[in-house]
Amino acid sequence: MATRSACRALERRFASAAAAAAAAAAARPLVAEVRSQRNAVFSREQARQRALYPRIEKIEVSMQGPGLDGTLLVMNRGMSTPLSCARHLTEYHVNNSVLALVDGEPWPLHQPLTDSCSMTLLTFKDSDPTLANQAYWRSCAALLGQVLQTAFKDDYTVELLSTPEVPVTSGAFCCDVALDPQLDSWTPSEESLRSLTKGAQQLIHKDLPWEPLEVAPSVALEVFSHSRCKQEEVEEKAAQHPKGRVTLYRCGDHVLLSAGPLVARTGLCSQYEVTALHSLGQGPWGLHRRAQGLSLPLQLQAHHTVWRKLRQRAEKLVEVSRLEEAAPPSPPDSTPPPTSQ
Amino acid sequence: MRLTLRALISHGRVARKMGLGPESRINMLRNLLTGLVRHERIETTTARADEVRFYAEKLVDYAKRGDTDEKAMKMASFWLTEKDLVPKLFNVLAPRFETHSKGYTRMARLPNRENLDRAKMAVLEYKGNPFPPLYPVKKDNELTLINQLLRGYREDRAQQLATKA
Repeated sequence: MATRSACRALERRFASAAAAAAAAAAARPLVAEVRSQRNAVFSREQARQRALYPRIEKIEVSMQGPGLDGTLLVMNRGMSTPLSCARHLTEYHVNNSVLALVDGEPWPLHQPLTDSCSMTLLTFKDSDPTLANQAYWRSCAALLGQVLQTAFKDDYTVELLSTPEVPVTSGAFCCDVALDPQLDSWTPSEESLRSLTKGAQQLIHKDLPWEPLEVAPSVALEVFSHSRCKQEEVEEKAAQHPKGRVTLYRCGDHVLLSAGPLVARTGLCSQYEVTALHSLGQGPWGLHRRAQGLSLPLQLQAHHTVWRKLRQRAEKLVEVSRLEEAAPPSPPDSTPPPTSQ
Repeated sequence: MRLTLRALISHGRVARKMGLGPESRINMLRNLLTGLVRHERIETTTARADEVRFYAEKLVDYAKRGDTDEKAMKMASFWLTEKDLVPKLFNVLAPRFETHSKGYTRMARLPNRENLDRAKMAVLEYKGNPFPPLYPVKKDNELTLINQLLRGYREDRAQQLATKA
């Protein structure tokens, strides 16, 4: 008797467990499927863009910079990237260049050159590294987004919202994310933040390049066909861009969208820590959360005392005021609205 | 075997031998000192610069007494061969070093002279001269990532202290 009821209870328990497992199994391939689909579309588009130049055509790139003024390099159209130009120079240029300025326009290091131009390689130690700093901050936020996407179990959906453009003086880069409604009551402990940091450090250690790809909005919409939020972001970015095209970046097997140029590879970051995850309140996609982090590049490492102080500041919430609303800066953490002149 | 030492031990004499004799040495130092007072920065051999240094500082000490002082005026007129530098000494250099008690000059080594003699060269200057500094201060670039982060940190702290106070 008792054993039969016990057996029945056990059966019921196993049945429910099996049902849950089946449901989980249904959800699990979805995430991997999405990732592989995005990858496939990205690779297809990349191959198509490369095939636009079947014959090798030469272009002339004149280098500008300290000690390089006027050096003329003859490169291939649609195939050579600023990184390949750097490889023609020295190892220092390969390891230390962050971004390229092609005819005054910031150009990611892995994007192929299309015309004869004059190029400057930017590093973190120039007399004016503002562009490099902004690109680095954006790349760290993108890395944080990638870590968050892959950190959670497949039962929980993670929706990456647009990463806000934060100036470097605010102390931390942010990545806005909307987690699964099941996790609404979850606040991250120090251990979870540390495990996120470890995930980021693993990515940094792999030294993956951020491959850029400039695509038409239709392709981008196809890439993000599973995510309505991302599609809206694509439309926004396409509207802002002068030519109506959207730049996608791929790091490893994660495809992402970014407002501006990103740094060449993940190996350029050295000290990287995820400092906090603040809840901002309900948004259109669920509980809006802001993940913050702090990072420094390989060439500008900080002493541990300085790092500790900066990290303590990075735990505080960074508030971002949008360009459209000229909000007066009230709380001490808010970034003052940039004067649009 | 040699039973006597070669006479290269000075036995406590600190004054160097320069030129043809003691009078020549004083004349040479006088010329150097005049040049120093006129230009405030001169380049000579290390030995001469070292010798002049003592006299330059002593001259400023005399000048601090003021030009009404008899002894100070006599010293100034003896040591400065170009008499238009005597007012400069009393009216420019003496007030400049009013707050300093000693150490009015600075000496730095230079690369050896290009001539055959390859002499050890030095530059001697009065402090507070209008030329760019001998040891330039290298300023950190304010716009690097780490300096920008630190700037934000400092502003944040200042704001916090202001709100707390």
